[in-house]
Amino acid sequence: MLNLNETIHQPVRLRIMAVLVTLEPTDEVDFTYLRDLLEVTDGNLGAHLRKLEEAGYIRINKVFVERKPHSYISATPEGCRVFKEHVAALEAILQNK
Amino acid sequence: MDISHDEAEEALAAIQAMVKKTRRAISRSGAYAFLILWGVIWMVGFLNSQFLPNQTASYVWMGLDIAGGIISAIIGIRLNRGIRSSASTTTGKRIAFFWLLLFVYCVMAVAVAWPVDGKQLAMFIIFFVTIGWVSMGLLLSFASAWWGLALLALSMLGYFLLNDIFYLWMAILGGGGMIALGVYVRNRW
Repeated sequence: MLNLNETIHQPVRLRIMAVLVTLEPTDEVDFTYLRDLLEVTDGNLGAHLRKLEEAGYIRINKVFVERKPHSYISATPEGCRVFKEHVAALEAILQNK
Repeated sequence: MDISHDEAEEALAAIQAMVKKTRRAISRSGAYAFLILWGVIWMVGFLNSQFLPNQTASYVWMGLDIAGGIISAIIGIRLNRGIRSSASTTTGKRIAFFWLLLFVYCVMAVAVAWPVDGKQLAMFIIFFVTIGWVSMGLLLSFASAWWGLALLALSMLGYFLLNDIFYLWMAILGGGGMIALGVYVRNRW
């Protein structure tokens, strides 16, 4: 039986993971780009990213681009696997109606 | 963790909406714009070759190509600013070098074959553009290679069978086809 993942199921974190798994495996997304895509505030996004990072589902790469700090976010292989399992569990609930 | 059927449905809908939005954001960030831009340039350029005197037409083409080069560079710089890839930097440089080499080969081929008339010159350029297009298709997205081959086939057909309306043919099918493909890519997701 497939299990739902409580960390990922939170609506903002679910959408963050949906964005990250849609990208190519070698891609990472800029913090501001992700914030605009999700239409959330900096603080809100930062808090949810921390939770996902602590769980090992995402990687945050902090670099300097033209002397300005940038954070690039990508899903880890574990994050991708867990997200796919979560989606499969959601689909199973719909099929078992 | 247990959730209701409705909650599961809502969560899946949210995921699908986000996937769609992400793909659209990526596609809107640029690649399709090259096709639409050069489609418009080809359409205006070939129409001008069909209806204006040779001297005037060559000046218009020169202006269109310079404008196209500048706008392409701007689009290229702005392309996918928010997304970066560890694999894309090296590939991007190689792709840029490939197109530069192709441009040099095209100029050398025309120089060796000179004198050529306007239609022959157009076909030389079309050959090199479609070679580049198909090569990019084989490298990045196999499906798009077929569009490059289709453009090449239509150009050959126009050159040998519809010589009187060749420029008009290229404006509508070449330029129009590129615009249609750009719009299709933009709306595909």
